[in-house]
Amino acid sequence: MAALAARGTAALPARLRPLWALPARRALAAAAGEGKAAQPKPAFTDEAVQTLLYKMTGLDLHKVFRPEKKGLKPPHYKLMTEAQLEEATRKAIEEAKTKLIMPPVLNEREPIDDVLAEDKILEGTETAKYVFTDLSYSIPHRERFIVVREPNGVLRKATWEERDRMIQIFFPKEGRRVIPPTLFKDEKLGTVFQQDRHEDVLNMCIAQFEPDSPDYIRVHHRTYEDIEKHGKYDLLRSTRHFGGMVWYLLSRKKADGLLIDMINRDLLDDATSLITLYHMLHPECQSAKEAKEQKLEGVDLIKVFVKTESQREGYIQLALQAYEEAMATSSAS
Amino acid sequence: CHCSDHIFDVITSPQVLPRFCSTQETPKDPPAAPSPYQERPWEYLESEEYRATYGDRPVWHGYRRNHKGSVPPQSPRKACLRRGRRVGNPCPICRDRNLLVDFRNVKLLDQFICPHSGVIFHPIHTGICMKQHKRLSQAIAQAQDHGLLWLQVPFVPVPEEDFSNQHAAVGKTPPAPALREPGQAWYPWYEWQQPPAAEVARMRRLYRGFLKEDYPDTPPSPSGK
Repeated sequence: MAALAARGTAALPARLRPLWALPARRALAAAAGEGKAAQPKPAFTDEAVQTLLYKMTGLDLHKVFRPEKKGLKPPHYKLMTEAQLEEATRKAIEEAKTKLIMPPVLNEREPIDDVLAEDKILEGTETAKYVFTDLSYSIPHRERFIVVREPNGVLRKATWEERDRMIQIFFPKEGRRVIPPTLFKDEKLGTVFQQDRHEDVLNMCIAQFEPDSPDYIRVHHRTYEDIEKHGKYDLLRSTRHFGGMVWYLLSRKKADGLLIDMINRDLLDDATSLITLYHMLHPECQSAKEAKEQKLEGVDLIKVFVKTESQREGYIQLALQAYEEAMATSSAS
Repeated sequence: CHCSDHIFDVITSPQVLPRFCSTQETPKDPPAAPSPYQERPWEYLESEEYRATYGDRPVWHGYRRNHKGSVPPQSPRKACLRRGRRVGNPCPICRDRNLLVDFRNVKLLDQFICPHSGVIFHPIHTGICMKQHKRLSQAIAQAQDHGLLWLQVPFVPVPEEDFSNQHAAVGKTPPAPALREPGQAWYPWYEWQQPPAAEVARMRRLYRGFLKEDYPDTPPSPSGK
């Protein structure tokens, strides 16, 4: 049953590469200061970054296809040969990969505050705002014109919140409500985190909010902070949110807890890819320079990182020691 | 069974028969005292009283409707308290004044949700009346909304759209020419526009008999503007 717990994936198939990748930032290289290196900062959507993140996420079929609470039906049995079983496992792995596609990591959207017209002649005629929504079926929601006529005669474009509400009213999407659930408020998120339902919160967040809305970003950051505070990294492993969490932690140089967790679970490959990604994100740090000079691999890479960059050096050294002892005993026996 | 008195004090209080020709007022039942757990209904489910009454079983376990014949009624009772009078054999929630349906006492709400499929039990299965079932469904929905109760989250795939926000509908539009200079009117016709002289002459010829001699070509601007 080794196939069922397959860790690490093959090269990412073309159709699964993120289709929402923003156009490359050509201007950045040109606008970079004269004294800086020519390489722009790696984005979330880069091929190398995505491969590393997918490798770290892993693929535990038991977790991806765990049973969900639905209406009860009698169980369904199939009798298969070895070849059919392999074929079925292969198909399951393909489907699991589509389920593990990472949601986008974007900057917060710019607020819309454009005034299209000011008709003073309409002042005092109405008491309420009118919202005009273009309901043509075949245009994408981001190209839909939604404008608001205020009682004082001003015709302006609708704000992002108004846009989301109107689009949900006329084109309802599954899992999304017009008024977001109360559990997304800051004070209520704590109760949900105590029940270890981080993955549920993130899935509901993807269903409810747009990826560049401030609420989406706030909920995701709160969740990642809570996970990092309590060390509950394993909750998100083998889900589509793991990549986003790793990106968030590495951008803020908080890789220690995750590193300890990986070493404790004997995932040295993931630990090395974590350090590689750290060096890609922060090429000017000392361990990155040392690793580049000496071309380190594997455990040495981790040791250099621990000596120079980490804050919890003692813990990581202990974990590494325990791992090496375990390896020694297992190889000896 | 270890049923404590507070469950049945509702029914066994003596009912005085009405005396129609008497001048004295018939003593009415004293109004039921409010439950001591009004503010914090979840505490009752941890108390000794609850444990002694119900043990480990759900509150609706063992409740049975009274009916004639072998087939029980296939629709739930509408309410246990109608016009201030209690029915005989009230439902599991109405018979215990300390069991309050509130979105915060999650343990009580959990007893009415199937642990395997996550749906609320039908009121015929648990025996509660329609009024309590409605309040219970609302409380469960509210608890799920606040994140206190578990909820099955459907898998929504990642949206595939263009997030660059370059389209005119969501991007920046340059302001209209009239807005750039505050003094200028939005539409040209907000201010007086002198019509062409030929038009003025034509109008004068048409309404020759009715116009005053000294009617001006341009109306005087209103005072105060």
